Amino acid sequence: MSSCGCITCSDEGRPARIHELDAATGLALCEDEDGRCEETDVSLVAPVAVGDTVLVHAGVALVRL
Amino acid sequence: MRFVDEFRDAELGRVLAGEILAAVEPGRHYKVMEVCGGHTHSIYKYGVDDLLPANVELVHGPGCPVCVIPMGRVDDGIAIAHQPGVIFTCFGDMLRVPGSDGSLLEAKAQGADVRMVYSPLDALRIARQNPHREVVFFAIGFETTAPSTALTLKRAKAERVPNYSVMCNHVTIVPPLRALLESPDLRLDGFIGPGHVSTVVGARPFEFIPADYGKPVVVSGFEPLDILQSIHMILRQLAEGRCEVENQYRRVVPYDGNVAALRVLAEVFELRPHFEWRGLGFISQSALKLSDAYADFDAELRYSVPGVRVADPKACQCGEVLKGVIKPWECKVFGTACTPERPIGTCMVSPEGACAAYYNYGRFAREREVV
Repeated sequence: MSSCGCITCSDEGRPARIHELDAATGLALCEDEDGRCEETDVSLVAPVAVGDTVLVHAGVALVRL
Repeated sequence: MRFVDEFRDAELGRVLAGEILAAVEPGRHYKVMEVCGGHTHSIYKYGVDDLLPANVELVHGPGCPVCVIPMGRVDDGIAIAHQPGVIFTCFGDMLRVPGSDGSLLEAKAQGADVRMVYSPLDALRIARQNPHREVVFFAIGFETTAPSTALTLKRAKAERVPNYSVMCNHVTIVPPLRALLESPDLRLDGFIGPGHVSTVVGARPFEFIPADYGKPVVVSGFEPLDILQSIHMILRQLAEGRCEVENQYRRVVPYDGNVAALRVLAEVFELRPHFEWRGLGFISQSALKLSDAYADFDAELRYSVPGVRVADPKACQCGEVLKGVIKPWECKVFGTACTPERPIGTCMVSPEGACAAYYNYGRFAREREVV
């Protein structure tokens, strides 16, 4: 857990930038403000592109910022 | 980072604090509830309350999903975790939530295979990697996390991962707000609406609050300037005699939410007739269970669980804290018998819990100037 709060119960979303994208599976590799990368499901905000910033909750992007 | 740094500007914060001061009617006491635990955490992390006049009181709401899980559900999870061959997965905060006979962390120490994950996708990955074990995900959260559980279940079904199941504890935001508004204990002037729940459900579901109860709602972001601006917007509504739903967090929250996410939720989940909330008791249609189409993945149908209702420890006043009736430091065990290291109640477990927020950032009772 970073100093920016709790992501474990996930009612705090985090902006993250899409680094790699597999449009066929709807999965992407996203980097948050602390430089941490995680696999993210972006199917609920499609279409998105590499470089877009999305708000991520528990491994799922809910909004394209 | 864009969307973050510009909302932490100290000079703009001071300007907003001045505008809040100007909007306050002298002699009037304002009680504003921040619904979401993420807001509680931000308020105490950044000291937002120190910028407010003393007659603007922030009341902490029930929007921390860890905090509202009753002890009986923790016991049910531990019972599943002890089943032979089970890998039990959950978010980190849940590990330390006390049940009636210890926490999931203590169950792990006793030999249960309990693992922390950051998302249900991680739990599904563990299931793929361990085809001869049963992997159970303990799902918690409001409509913000429910899409993550739902999408993972869709993937598990499409990929035919038979050793994956979910113990569903997802809750919904509107029923507890209605329960709070019906409570005679609490007289509130307005609500700071939950920002990230609203990314999914939108701001429209909160329209009943001004329509039925005559209170303003401002859906808010989580940075300090977001929260200050939202408080100012509530005070302006009150000063101008308006009450409506306003959306301060328009850079993120569409008024109608995320339609794709709502569609997935409707497919994978259905409403439970009732669900117990810590501190609030049973609330009708306030939680989700897996729909018939996903019943094969329902851990509560796959395993027998005690399903017993367990009363909170007598010393613990989380219920009153969750309803905003008392402040965390007014609880008899706050900071003494109950600390983040050895929590008695759930509000001390999660950093989004009001007790942990007060404890971690040293926000005890203090004198502020009354306008």
